Amino acid sequence: MEFEPKILGIACNWCTYTGADLAGTTRVQYPHNIRVARVMCSSRINPSFIFRAFELGADGVLVGGCHPGDCHYSTGNYYARRKLAVTKKILDFAGLEPERFRVEWISASEGTRYADIVKEFTEEIKTLGPQRRFAIRKGADE
Amino acid sequence: MKQIETRLREEAKRLLETGEVAVVLAYGRGYDDRHPMPYAAKTASDTERIVFNEYCTHNMARYLMDYPPGTRIAIAVKGCDSRAVVVLLQEEKINRENLVILGIPVTGMKDPKTDRVIDASTTAGTPNPVLYDILLGETVPESDASPYVVLEELEEMAGADRWTFWKKELARCIRCYACRQACPMCYCDPCFVDQAEPRWADKSPSIESNLMFHLTRFYHLAGRCVDCGECSRACPMEIPLYLFHKKVAKECEEMFEQAAGMSVDDKPVMVDFRVEDADEILL
Repeated sequence: MEFEPKILGIACNWCTYTGADLAGTTRVQYPHNIRVARVMCSSRINPSFIFRAFELGADGVLVGGCHPGDCHYSTGNYYARRKLAVTKKILDFAGLEPERFRVEWISASEGTRYADIVKEFTEEIKTLGPQRRFAIRKGADE
Repeated sequence: MKQIETRLREEAKRLLETGEVAVVLAYGRGYDDRHPMPYAAKTASDTERIVFNEYCTHNMARYLMDYPPGTRIAIAVKGCDSRAVVVLLQEEKINRENLVILGIPVTGMKDPKTDRVIDASTTAGTPNPVLYDILLGETVPESDASPYVVLEELEEMAGADRWTFWKKELARCIRCYACRQACPMCYCDPCFVDQAEPRWADKSPSIESNLMFHLTRFYHLAGRCVDCGECSRACPMEIPLYLFHKKVAKECEEMFEQAAGMSVDDKPVMVDFRVEDADEILL
């Protein structure tokens, strides 16, 4: 059976989530591997969410926020950018495959782009294979 | 060292006698010379017990917030400890008016466990205090060595090898939280790891929950860690936590162009932003 990754999507309410909605209403097809959680702003994302997702067996985490300058709360995604950049560096230095964590700015009008990114990311995770380093549920590597 | 000790006692005595401060945070004698302890002198006669030698590695900034707000405190700080005081001031956890900072410029401190000299190549790369009211002794020459050279070996490794390294190190963690207790920046009450709801990390020492605890702690100290190295010296399992903290500090310095605790006027990098921050940092 082909490996079907589990991907956690964390989407901001105002841009990415609405963009995902648009992808749905315009009937764009994209892989069902992504499970989207909605937050009010990308700066609400605590980096521990991402660590925890990997710990509980997520194969990838995709964070979506408004384009810089477009934040519904004016500056939320600027803070998010710093926080998520540090998170990425931490995953990298721990050797926890930083490619599995991705941040994208997707606006409410970019339904097709949302679908494209999900497609691309799912393919990437499929080539990487199951995440077995940090995951409890799947058993540690080797 | 002996001169610093004498001056430290004198200043502590004067400050307590004049009533300028209620407590002096410095070092006291432990069970032998090699094991001095953090010590809070509260009366002029207490100051006789103050010591200072090369094993006084503790970061006394850890204890600043143990006193009720408004308590007048004098604190003995080495280079890194003064940076910790600066971070606490930036975060408005303590008030500058209530503090008398006794700066100690010093190099050649030694780890009491291994007797190895602590220098810029491991931790504590700041020999001179960055903020002080009274300087006890002459400023010492700054070292040219980058505090980040020690990271080179790990940075060159492939991701999988780094994972093997950290997995081996962090699997040893017995979750005693000595690193957290020794850290001047870890003042949260309750700490995320002690919270029952949401339960961020399991309490038992397994590799996954250890990673959850340590990775989150590394993140919490991003742009705040002053590289005093107390976490690693406090660790009973001798996990080189300072390597990871250094790496995060290095990345923050490169991305946001600001080292932790160098000036009271700086804003901590994680509660600040610049519109011009590049999106490339997310790659």
